[in-house]
Amino acid sequence: MTQRIELVINDRCRTVEVASNTTLLEMLRDQLKFKSVKPGCWRGDCGLCLVLIDGRPIKSCLVLAQELDDREVVTVEGLLDNGNITRLHQSFIEKGALQCGYCTPAFLLASEALLRRNPHPTRERVCESMNGILCRCTGYKQIVDAILAASE
Amino acid sequence: MFVTLPEFEYHRPQTVSAALDLLDQYGGGATVMAGGTDLLVDMRYRIRVPEHVIDLKGIEELGKLTFQPGEGLVIGATVTLNRLLEYDAVQSRFGALHDALEDMCDDQVRNRATLAGNLCTASPAADCAPPLLVFDAKVEVASPAGRRMVDLPDLFTGVKETSLGTDEMVTAVHVPEPPPDVQSRYLKGKRSSEDCAIVGVAALVARWDDPRDRVVRLAYSSVAPTPVRVYDVERIFRQDKPWGDLVEEAVSAALNRVSPISDVRSSKEYRVHLIDVLTRLALRELLGGRR
Ligand SMILES: Cc1cc2nc3c(=O)[nH]c(=O)nc-3n(C[C@H](O)[C@H](O)[C@H](O)COP(=O)(O)OP(=O)(O)OC[C@H]3O[C@@H](n4cnc5c(N)ncnc54)[C@H](O)[C@@H]3O)c2cc1C
Ligand code: FES
Ligand code: FES
Repeated sequence: MTQRIELVINDRCRTVEVASNTTLLEMLRDQLKFKSVKPGCWRGDCGLCLVLIDGRPIKSCLVLAQELDDREVVTVEGLLDNGNITRLHQSFIEKGALQCGYCTPAFLLASEALLRRNPHPTRERVCESMNGILCRCTGYKQIVDAILAASE
Repeated sequence: MFVTLPEFEYHRPQTVSAALDLLDQYGGGATVMAGGTDLLVDMRYRIRVPEHVIDLKGIEELGKLTFQPGEGLVIGATVTLNRLLEYDAVQSRFGALHDALEDMCDDQVRNRATLAGNLCTASPAADCAPPLLVFDAKVEVASPAGRRMVDLPDLFTGVKETSLGTDEMVTAVHVPEPPPDVQSRYLKGKRSSEDCAIVGVAALVARWDDPRDRVVRLAYSSVAPTPVRVYDVERIFRQDKPWGDLVEEAVSAALNRVSPISDVRSSKEYRVHLIDVLTRLALRELLGGRR
């Protein structure tokens, strides 16, 4: 059984035909080819599939696509400012906050959401907000440093 | 290994009565979903394969979150853990619940997961359960016959089993206002930041200075088939005895009530040890120099 849903993705209205058992992760990555939305564990543990729904960071493997009718989704592509990278991206580059880059879209989205709600978070708060996302390369310190630098 | 979700029909009713009609119509073939953070994982692993999934998030009534002096907290069934965590009354009056929420899942999962879902999963490790047990919470249950209030201990019947019928659902959790001088904590022994509790202890103390009128309550997660409250401690702490004797009796009452097992997270022996250590620690933190 499929259902037609209308939603806004990165400021653009889209109409998508989705099956009842399609997750938001599968819809974004496989149907709409947003390959920045990464699969990892498919069970809420790794955080790599993170997107913003109505501004809040959420793991898209645990959301049904059909729930998104009339809602707003932002993927990492939506963080660009007129096609240019922002201060947050620049900070990730300067602090060496990525190696393979597989986790980077998730960390950028989660930190964007955090900084919008809390423009000057403490180091502890940054770690708390990021502890649902796994990175197998950096050891996290550079990621936390980058987020704190972007918040100065 | 990754598999897609099994096929099912998705329903998004706008009212409780519409949801109940669907439950009635599809009987055991339907499951309600709040945040889906337990349900969708179970479905992916084919632990559960419902033919109909009834999403409760379209029902406005279930999103209510209120605190009224005298009445206490009312937490609708679709209120997320992060909404609760950000709610002032939870932080100021329900310390043990705030402790549990702060340490649950992670920020992203808390944006979806609900308190009612945590209770209805009925995991022995449900972190919201011990705090709600010491606060005497009740669960509001709706069925085609009407609404009834269920004492929280009566919701849990076994490992991941509840007393809810297939045509019933939880609409809200009610937590009475605690006594004015109440203090409470939830301590969780665990291995890593995202892991579930090896042992969780909720402790509540009020009116400590008057032994005959003292209120001391303890409840635990991950130490028995269901979360448990140890009712014997109330009587123990009303005795006029030295602190050391009271705590000794309380720990043995707790150990009598629980039935810890060995599993992937911990041995039975380590759980027994943690019950002892965390119980003492929680009471000591609450009472400070007053004991
Ligand atoms: C990465 C991760 C980390 C986690 N960490 C923790 C943790 O630290 N501590 C912890 O306790 N849990 C943890 N959990 C488990 C889970 O997130 C919680 O139990 C959560 O509160 C479940 O709420 P939900 O709204 O997502 O429930 P759902 O998945 O929507 O529902 C859970 C169950 O309850 C039933 N149900 C839901 N609402 C109702 C209702 N109103 N009436 C009747 N039945 C209902 C559903 O049918 C289902 O059986 C974790 C999960 C993940 C994925
Ligand atoms: S794939 Fe979604 S959390 Fe791992
Ligand atoms: S940079 Fe490789 S997983 Fe984070």
